[in-house]
Amino acid sequence: MPAELALLHNLLLVGAALFGVGLVGFLCRRNLIVMFLAAEMMLQGVSVSLAAWSRYRNDFGGQVLVIFIIAVAACEAAVALALVTALFRRRGDLDVAVWDRLREANQPPFTEAPLPEQPGAAGESWPTLPPAGVAPAVPDEKVDYRRYV
Amino acid sequence: MPSAKTLLVVIPAMPLLAAALTAVLGPRLLRTRSHWPTVLGVAFSFAASLLLLFQVHQQVRAEKNATFPSVTLWQWVDVDSSRLAAARTAALVESTAEAGAPPAAKQGTFSINVALQADPLTCVMLAVVTCISLLVAIYSIGYMRGDRGYWRFFSYIPLFVFSMTMLVSASNFLLLYVFWELVGLCSYLLIGFWYQRPAAAAAGKKAFLVNRIGDFGFALGVFLLWTTYGTLNYEDLFGPHHLPYAREALGTAICLLLLAGACGKSAQFPLHVWLPDAMEGPSPVSALIHAATMVTAGVYLVARCLPMFREAPGVLHVVAIIGGGTALLGAIIAVTQTDLKRILAYSTISHLGYMFLALGTGTLLGAVAGMFHLVTHAFFKSLLFLAAGSVMHAMGGVIDIRRFSGLRRRMPITHWTFLFGGLSMAGVIPFAGFFSKDAILLSLAECSGGLIYQTLYWTTFGGIVLIVLYTFRPYFIAFFGPEKIPKEAGDHAHESPRVMTWTLVILAFVAFSVGMVLEWNHVLSDFLAATPSWTTLPLPPAPEVLAKEHLAIALQSSAAVLITLACTAALYLGTRRVIVARLTGLLKLVGIYQLSFGKFFFDQIYWLFIILPAEGFAALCAWADNHVIDGLVNLCGAVPRWFGAALRPLQGGLIQFYALSMAIGLLIMLFLLLL
Amino acid sequence: MKDSHTIWILATLLGSLGLWLMLPRGGRRGRLAGAALAVVALGLAASQTPRLGTWTAEGIFAALALVTVVAAAAAVTCRNPVYCAIWFGLTLLGTAGLFLLVGAQFLAAATVVVYAGAILVTFLFVLMLAQPEGKAAYDRASWEAMLSAVTGVVLIGVLSITVGGALTAPPPEAAPSAAAVQAGVLRPQHVAALGTELFGRHLIAIQIAGTLLLTALVGAAVIIAQGKNTKTDSINSKELKTDEE
Repeated sequence: MPAELALLHNLLLVGAALFGVGLVGFLCRRNLIVMFLAAEMMLQGVSVSLAAWSRYRNDFGGQVLVIFIIAVAACEAAVALALVTALFRRRGDLDVAVWDRLREANQPPFTEAPLPEQPGAAGESWPTLPPAGVAPAVPDEKVDYRRYV
Repeated sequence: MPSAKTLLVVIPAMPLLAAALTAVLGPRLLRTRSHWPTVLGVAFSFAASLLLLFQVHQQVRAEKNATFPSVTLWQWVDVDSSRLAAARTAALVESTAEAGAPPAAKQGTFSINVALQADPLTCVMLAVVTCISLLVAIYSIGYMRGDRGYWRFFSYIPLFVFSMTMLVSASNFLLLYVFWELVGLCSYLLIGFWYQRPAAAAAGKKAFLVNRIGDFGFALGVFLLWTTYGTLNYEDLFGPHHLPYAREALGTAICLLLLAGACGKSAQFPLHVWLPDAMEGPSPVSALIHAATMVTAGVYLVARCLPMFREAPGVLHVVAIIGGGTALLGAIIAVTQTDLKRILAYSTISHLGYMFLALGTGTLLGAVAGMFHLVTHAFFKSLLFLAAGSVMHAMGGVIDIRRFSGLRRRMPITHWTFLFGGLSMAGVIPFAGFFSKDAILLSLAECSGGLIYQTLYWTTFGGIVLIVLYTFRPYFIAFFGPEKIPKEAGDHAHESPRVMTWTLVILAFVAFSVGMVLEWNHVLSDFLAATPSWTTLPLPPAPEVLAKEHLAIALQSSAAVLITLACTAALYLGTRRVIVARLTGLLKLVGIYQLSFGKFFFDQIYWLFIILPAEGFAALCAWADNHVIDGLVNLCGAVPRWFGAALRPLQGGLIQFYALSMAIGLLIMLFLLLL
Repeated sequence: MKDSHTIWILATLLGSLGLWLMLPRGGRRGRLAGAALAVVALGLAASQTPRLGTWTAEGIFAALALVTVVAAAAAVTCRNPVYCAIWFGLTLLGTAGLFLLVGAQFLAAATVVVYAGAILVTFLFVLMLAQPEGKAAYDRASWEAMLSAVTGVVLIGVLSITVGGALTAPPPEAAPSAAAVQAGVLRPQHVAALGTELFGRHLIAIQIAGTLLLTALVGAAVIIAQGKNTKTDSINSKELKTDEE
């Protein structure tokens, strides 16, 4: 197989892998923000494929398309994150299951398994970000966390 | 002088205009003046009818085989049916090959014209109809005063007059059928005029439904006429050069089907049950529609088709037997009834039976006698109904003769006019009924039909006795004896307003004199004999022979009538009620009284054998409709719903579930496409 | 060819299992095993890829691809959304490297600047606003983890086999010569060439993209502002009501 074709081949595989892994993330994760992240990852997969084709075909069209993808992704991120913020304001939760009220009437909510009660075994370390506008110097225990998170 | 064609169009046009005007302007503008268009329009068409009658009469006197005026308004149906006609002719030739002479079916187009024609028969009918309509319309001004539906009444009446005049002047069977139905509709509307009363609404429905049975037969008869002859025009069927009539079974079938229609409309046995109930309508309606005009449409139809009936074997016997039987039946029932209007209704059924009987002889004498009786009956019966209406008006709606008596002092004009009508109906010389009744007897006596007509002659003779009895029994009970007024009458138990009494007086005069006028010099019979379709009927014997016979019959019948009148007076005048009671008891013992009082239980028999099974079937159908049909329909609706219910869990509202479905679908597509 | 398919199917199965084990499922059992399985699957897949010719190219590509794919898997499977975002940033860097490898310098720069610099930071901002604690039960559970993992990885497998089949069978057209490529997408004045292309052939599309960006900006602002307004409005109306009472 010629080198150029092999490069295309391998890049397409990487693109497919990014796309597939992003898909898995989008399907599985319950956090709205992580879902969007996974969606962006799928876009990256496509971008890689396009760039590879651009190189192989000796054509700028693929790269131009990637630029547009980046532009659209930026738009999407802006609007989607705004929406996430709005949704979060309403429910105080980033769990997508909160919005399954959009189901058909008289249908029970889909529950695969109960949520784990405790956030994991003891000793597991959780890096945290300080709440916006609060000085990070305040000890973690004293921060008045919202009940609903 | 307007031409006959103009008159022919004007006669129905004026009432139609009046009906439209009253219907449009009545409720808002005319209100209590709603009678003006009707009275003026009908008066106009009455005048036109008289002029037309005069013109046609002149024509008949002037030339032997006159062509009578006819006018084609427009062509209604025009279908090129040449191929159809050819097929029909072939079939007909095949079917009538063994049945004798095949009638030559007309080739070409099936075209129906809205055309009117005026032969003597039509002219006589027109004159009678418009005359009675005018008088009844004038009478109604007084009778219907203050009614909430005043304008409605006066828009129905001219509509009826329009329909009836069109019916008698139509020149083909299809047009006849249309207006046949339209008079039926008017009858329905006017019987149920006081539709808030359940009895009136039910009576209207009953009349309409019973008429449907007859009209169904009539419609089938018209269809069969067309398939047989290829034409529906009177000109082709009854004109001087008419088609040869189908004989044997086909001819009989056509005639019997037409007769079914006539029986329904003219309340003949076994379809007579609607007419007594039709008395729920206002009295003027009873007088106009259910005594004088609409119910005679059947008689007119039979008279119109008489030559065809003659040619079909056995049909005339059926007509005569139905007529005679109904005449006797009606008379027997009328004797024991207590409702004055119902007595008159049964007497109408009886008299219509006499008309059928006369036509059933199939001779010119009989045909003329039937029409003569139609004319005289129209006058005296409408007079009696209007007089009864006057009584009802005064008694506050009470019409049961057991509840009032001795009215002759309070209502002298009504009393006298009722007496005139009664004498005319009873056939007392020289009242109108005398002449027409004797004409019928004469036609029966002269008919060489064998034993059947002999029997019917004596039946009729017996019926005459009953006529006197049932006419004068209510008369004596209501107008003589101690004065008794029902409480419903209140303070208006007095003579009716002048507009009503004058109408009664005019009618009384006509009912008295019309027989003499028409019998004078055989005016009517000579005129009617010129009807194109009747020229083929067997002619009566020489006038000298006839006059002798006539005199004998007149003497016999007059003797019978006068003796019965005397007996009735003796029974019901004064204090001889004991004898009446004894006689009634005797009749009750035999069972005849119960039969008569129960109207021969026709309503009950029909209820048991027709209505009950039909209602059972309807209940079954309703059940099937509710459970089977609706069940199927609901099933059709439920299947998508079940399907939807099965799919609904998929709509979990969870966006990732949708995305997963999409991804799996995409994967399957990729598998199918790429691998 | 058949062997290659078998290996691909094996890689797919192992990858599915590994990814499933790595996904958050409440506990933390099997994560390492999953990672190992995934690495094995990755190795199997790598064994089926064609060589790029030179060792240098091979090495650079392998390193970038590994970083990208591993970071992607980590970004998807991490329990903590902040870690997810950081791993995603690494994926972006890997992608940018791949872009550089194919000579798309501007894309590499744009990816780093726009994605890693702007979008990712916005992600983190929102995470910070919405989920300061970082401990949420729902981050520890997945929807239909098995089915999703199998679907995604089978998709990768199918695409890989298809790509392999499509490119090893007689390719649709011969690749342009190296000289042509040097004069084309790899020419020295890369950004100038791309700019010419963008503002020449795709001028209207660029304008539309600009409009889209502006609209999205305004839209995002409106969404956020509206959310605020309704909240304050509701509070105001509540207060008004109590006042009336």
